Amino acid sequence: MNRMTFGGLTPAVSLVGAMAILLAAVSSALVIGETVIPLSTIWNVLKLEFGYSAPQVNPIDQGILWSYRLPRAILAMACGASLALSGVVLQALLRNPLSDPYILGLSAGASTGAVSVAILGFGAGVLSLSGGAFIGALLAFGFVAWLARMARGEGASSTSSLALLLAGVAGAQLFHALTALIIAKSADANQARAIIFWMMGNLSGSRWPDVYLAVPVAALGLGIIFSHFRALDAMTFGREAAQSMGIRTGAVMAVLIGTTALLTAIMVSLSGAIGFVGLVIPHAVRFLVGVRHVLLIPAAALAGGVFLIMADIVSRVLIPGQTLPIGVVTALVGAPAFAVILVRSSRAHSG
Amino acid sequence: MKCFSVALALAAITTTGAAAQSFPLTLENCGHEVKFESAPESAVTIGQATTEAMYLLGLAGKVKGTAVWFTDVLPEFADANAKIERLADNTPSFEAVVNKRPGLVASQYEWYVGPKGSVGTREQFHDLSVPTYIWPADCVGKDNTVGVDGTREELISTEIIYRGLTELSQIFGVPEAGAEAVANLKAREQAAIERASALKLEDVSAMFWFSSSKMDADPYVAGAKGAPAYIMAKLGVENVVTSNEEWPTVGWETLAKANPTYIVLADLQRRKFPADSIEAKMEFLKNDPVASQMDAVKNGRVLILDAHAMDATVRTVSGLELLAEVMEKQAASQ
Repeated sequence: MNRMTFGGLTPAVSLVGAMAILLAAVSSALVIGETVIPLSTIWNVLKLEFGYSAPQVNPIDQGILWSYRLPRAILAMACGASLALSGVVLQALLRNPLSDPYILGLSAGASTGAVSVAILGFGAGVLSLSGGAFIGALLAFGFVAWLARMARGEGASSTSSLALLLAGVAGAQLFHALTALIIAKSADANQARAIIFWMMGNLSGSRWPDVYLAVPVAALGLGIIFSHFRALDAMTFGREAAQSMGIRTGAVMAVLIGTTALLTAIMVSLSGAIGFVGLVIPHAVRFLVGVRHVLLIPAAALAGGVFLIMADIVSRVLIPGQTLPIGVVTALVGAPAFAVILVRSSRAHSG
Repeated sequence: MKCFSVALALAAITTTGAAAQSFPLTLENCGHEVKFESAPESAVTIGQATTEAMYLLGLAGKVKGTAVWFTDVLPEFADANAKIERLADNTPSFEAVVNKRPGLVASQYEWYVGPKGSVGTREQFHDLSVPTYIWPADCVGKDNTVGVDGTREELISTEIIYRGLTELSQIFGVPEAGAEAVANLKAREQAAIERASALKLEDVSAMFWFSSSKMDADPYVAGAKGAPAYIMAKLGVENVVTSNEEWPTVGWETLAKANPTYIVLADLQRRKFPADSIEAKMEFLKNDPVASQMDAVKNGRVLILDAHAMDATVRTVSGLELLAEVMEKQAASQ
């Protein structure tokens, strides 16, 4: 059994392949945008930014490419990868195919945090909207984790996944209600806008500082999650089975759920709650590479990153002169894809 | 019988010297037929546009309650407004409105009183024998089921504001006040248009930045058919935004490439998003790597306009005047 081959390829070859796919995705995100910028200009901007000599280009074009499109593509990649990774982990740990990164109440908490800062003025100018969203997401997760712990009581560990799922539902409802309350108290003519950004996700306004935060976080998350691939394999058979294989399930669950919560909270605070990536990508990737986490984890990270870059491109060009919330695009692609998965898996079970 | 009432009306004109309103009055208003047997004794206004329209018509004494305030009342109405109860800064409850026993509920948006009204549907009010009137700018040529703030099917015109003023004055039996207010606004509008056209400027374009959900995110800008678009069209200024939504989200990439001559910033009093404040908008324009390169920013052609003038209200004409004035100064300095 050669554990370290990726679909018949050696790690080095598959790493090069993954890099090539990522590079192609980022390049297309540079080339395709709301407006048309000639390829020669793009080439000259890249040369200038990397310190080579090139003919002067229009500063607006240069800014659009280097300060708008490139950080946006990289942030999309980091977000997509993180969400897909979180989905893989949660689906394995909770043994529930419907789990996604927001099942722990994180997105609901993020919108509560964001509107608290924006409308109630919490943080008095020190806290940014993103900071508020991050704190809100963590608070919601803390509440859900606490509730799940209380619900589980002592000992009955087999019910803990269910307890966590139900606590997540309760937490999400509670924080949605808080958000609605805050908005109702200060509603105005375009109140719908406040919440759409956080509920549907939005990558517009991605700048380099966001990238400097998102990329190391995503890389760290990938590292931690990948180092637990054997435990994740074992956990898909249930906690008792994993324990019998000598895995300290309590510690593993705490580390992995904590990691996904932090990953998701940071990504939600940067880009809003982009739906469907964390739910659908893990399923799609399982079809392609199988259920073993040694393959599933890197493949899901790659697929999530590339998918979100592509979805972002579509969101910018679908309606000329206007951008769609990216959550609309991911849902448009994700919902039918999910339906297919659902039908196929139920056939597999019944047949 | 009809002859008789005409004769009576004629008699009224000759005796009072002004065209008194004849009742019953039937109006088509946003898909509803509203009928008045006599002028209502009182009104509750929802939305600053209808509130200030009532004040402009000298009907402040009839207003028993107001709601939905976007900004401070116009200074000339401050005294009158101080005496009137403010039911809510934002959306009032149905009961708070009907509790005033209003003879009329006048709403600026169908969003508040309409098919899915957050205060109530028109039928709910009509069931309690409370007539409703919607500011016609919100429904004539506008589809409120498309887009976040509705979508315009045709370019709005100040005619619709004048229609609202005229109809409100008829409902309250003071058509001469409506005629006077409309004549004043029309004269101001015409003067501003003439000043702008006298400059004979070519290739002038503009964008109106309302706000943004996150400081760096794609901004909400004025669409191609709302009040700002009308202001631009009348002054011969091209709107760089082409969407028909009332306040579409358009990326800075598109806006920067379009590179408008003027950037008009909305001055909002609400603080819901960081970008609601003028200072934050200015800061962004100065520091953003792309927006700071736009011609309007580099040449100091960034102006500030009261957000309420960017809606079809009695303030729209002051938006026309402001832009015309800035264009005039610009032309003089060149």
